[in-house]
Amino acid sequence: MTPTISVAGLTRRYRGQVALDDVTFDIEGPSITGLLGRNGMGKTTLMRIIAAQEFPTAGLVRVLGASPAENDAILRRMVFVREDQAFPDLKVGQILQVASWFHPNWSGELAEALLADFGLPLNRKVKKLSRGMRSAVGIIIGLAARAEVTLFDEPYAGLDAEARQVFYDRLLADYAEHPRTVLLSTHLIDEAAGLLERVVVMDRGRVMLDAAADDIRGSAVTVSGPAAAVTEFTAGRVIWDRRMIGGQESVVVAGAMDGPDRARARELGLSLAPLSLQQLVVHAAGRGPADLRERTSA
Amino acid sequence: MTTVMNVTRYHLVDRITVVALPWCILAAAFALDVVILVSAAATPGTPHPVGGIASIFVFVFAAGLATANRSLPFGLALGVSRRSYYLGTILLGVILAAADGLALAGLQAVERSTDGWGISMHFFQVPYILSGPWYLTWLTSSVVLGLLFVYGAWFGLVFRRWNLIGLAVFGTVQAAVVTAGALAVTWNHAWTSVGHFFTTLSAAGLTGVLAAVAIGLAAGGFAMIRRATV
Repeated sequence: MTPTISVAGLTRRYRGQVALDDVTFDIEGPSITGLLGRNGMGKTTLMRIIAAQEFPTAGLVRVLGASPAENDAILRRMVFVREDQAFPDLKVGQILQVASWFHPNWSGELAEALLADFGLPLNRKVKKLSRGMRSAVGIIIGLAARAEVTLFDEPYAGLDAEARQVFYDRLLADYAEHPRTVLLSTHLIDEAAGLLERVVVMDRGRVMLDAAADDIRGSAVTVSGPAAAVTEFTAGRVIWDRRMIGGQESVVVAGAMDGPDRARARELGLSLAPLSLQQLVVHAAGRGPADLRERTSA
Repeated sequence: MTTVMNVTRYHLVDRITVVALPWCILAAAFALDVVILVSAAATPGTPHPVGGIASIFVFVFAAGLATANRSLPFGLALGVSRRSYYLGTILLGVILAAADGLALAGLQAVERSTDGWGISMHFFQVPYILSGPWYLTWLTSSVVLGLLFVYGAWFGLVFRRWNLIGLAVFGTVQAAVVTAGALAVTWNHAWTSVGHFFTTLSAAGLTGVLAAVAIGLAAGGFAMIRRATV
């Protein structure tokens, strides 16, 4: 099967600065993939290239089996919602109307429901909206387009927690009825964790981790308790991080815990806490690819 | 083709800027010229050419610049190729030029039949270039409007790709080309033949030359948008 999004050896340099460095991955659809990493690590550049808004210095991009650059037939089946989208001087209603002309699967019904959810005024100029309201316009376009390939780049800048929850709920509900390939970049990782089937972590233009979300959940555990007991328990394990406060030690170890492990920890009076997706990503970003391979195989 | 036409529709959503504003500005220029002519107590009977019609041409240049530059980021976000976006923008320029040119020809006919709005004002009649029959006025003014629109669009795209520095270089290079041409003519003592070319060229012939220039400018703008990023 042809992957929905396929990038190979993708590199983008800006005057000696490397924004993307040999990025390779395939995304099969339908699925929801999280593109994670800190700001300035190449996520936006990557998505702009997939959406053919930017050109790579080297490497290949294929979307739905063909290059998206100057390809109306492919571009029509995509939607790209950017954090810093510049809108023309039009009203909210006009912007949505324009978007509906260009997206063959556009759902006016869903757009209206979302307008009500976010409380957006149809007759207000987009330029006059607050940051969060402007983000909501992008989210409405991204969801109502029902495009086969849906790219969200930090879509909720300025939105409050309640409105973000609306986005997650609506995305999941509409995805269930109309499956598509969603690539969502975000740094609110734990908030979005429940949605993600797969995560791609980027750091300084490189892919640091690419795995199914289920595989990496619980792939590392924090063991804490009296220093001696911790040392005994973690002997022979791969240790990522170690912290000592007084006589208490807290160690992050790779690998899942099985039944006997848990029983032993209880015996030693240790507490075990699996790392959240966000903590895992923070660790992933600070490590080399070799380290990660060791972890994902664990 | 539908995509291209949808891009044109997209530009036309903001009708006030692209359709109404040029005419509002022209109306203001017209009113200003009337006031000047009346207060100057100009001699009746002799034609008084006024320059106010230039305002609509200047404004169409600005409209070309705005549609190509300001509307591009959202245009490309709609899942449109640069080619389709550009063709839709040029189509808008062609439609606007044809419609506005026809309106100018109609107003010129009114001006002629009312003896220059009763005050011998030649607002829509311009010596040499817009002084022929109505269809030539339509054709010539449409070609000039179209030319300025695509020229403006090119400027807008240069600005998008290389910002202010690019715009300055773009303008300077053009000035340099014109200067080099003028120098070449001077060194070859060819100004008489240049003058001869223009005096023998009819308004229709000049329109043809301008149409060729407009097509050249449109091609230049296309080359510019091909690698534009948003």
